[in-house]
Amino acid sequence: MVFLSLSCWIRNRGPDRYWKVQEVLKHARHFRGRKNRCYSLAVRAVRRAFVYATKARKVKKRNIRTLWITRISAGSREHGMKYPALMNHLTKSSVQLNRRVLSDLAITEPRSFLSLAKLARARQQEGFRAALGDGKEPAGVLSRVMLQ
Amino acid sequence: MSSFSRSAQQWATFARSWFLIDARMQPPGKIASVCSVRLQGKHKPIYHALSECGDHVVVINSRHIAFSGNKWEQKVYSSHTGYPGGFKQVTAAQLHHKDPKAIVKLAVYGMLPKNLQRRSMMQRLHIFPEDELPDDIRANLTEELPQPREIPRKLSEYTQEEIDAFPRLWTPPTDYKMK
Repeated sequence: MVFLSLSCWIRNRGPDRYWKVQEVLKHARHFRGRKNRCYSLAVRAVRRAFVYATKARKVKKRNIRTLWITRISAGSREHGMKYPALMNHLTKSSVQLNRRVLSDLAITEPRSFLSLAKLARARQQEGFRAALGDGKEPAGVLSRVMLQ
Repeated sequence: MSSFSRSAQQWATFARSWFLIDARMQPPGKIASVCSVRLQGKHKPIYHALSECGDHVVVINSRHIAFSGNKWEQKVYSSHTGYPGGFKQVTAAQLHHKDPKAIVKLAVYGMLPKNLQRRSMMQRLHIFPEDELPDDIRANLTEELPQPREIPRKLSEYTQEEIDAFPRLWTPPTDYKMK
């Protein structure tokens, strides 16, 4: 392999300013207006663009996660569950699939996703039954239900 | 696999459905939230903001929507014509009397994302004041959405036995004056 980066960087510092200008303009060629050919305008625009790019690398992860969540919630509402309930009960059933995989399943494997939704639904009903008990009032409480 | 083609799958995936929703005695905000999800395509697992996968929604009986509380008198729709002194304010009742589609339309418009797709999503919303539909729209309908709110019964629709059997918190004394 030939490594050209180092020799290019050394050339950019050199007596000929042309290469230094080209190094900046290379990143600005697709910009709109004079920014794509005038060095003094391009250098500002490129700096700004790199700042945006740095910030966007973090924001992208956030945006993609919200997209996964939207897709999972669309898939789970088809099966009559809300997204928070689905995720909560999948976690309680020790299903360790992340949101990316779940959204892929919702798109490409609807039946696998349906079985996951059924699993979460079963876990939810189990939780309800445990919380509600056998329908009797707790001991020591007199209520209208018991009078009838 | 000769019967399976990718193009047919593509067509089937991105085909638009037409949803019907009856707005009779429904709060406009709840109708609008149901509509905006369908118009954006957020009810599909293939959703992406740029893929225009939203569906058509047909709202009927928009004349018979029901606001709760005192919103008919107190809810104010403001606009500005752009001219000096051109600030217009109408109450919900006045606006509804002028155009029975406007309240539902504005509610949906406000719930859609504020971007370039908003106008094209609104073009996929069809509102009708009564329950008569043109034949070309009726032919497209694929599914009816459930109403978000159960229509409450009027007192006149209850039989006397049901009124008598209704549970009472408190029995008024015989000499009690009803205000």
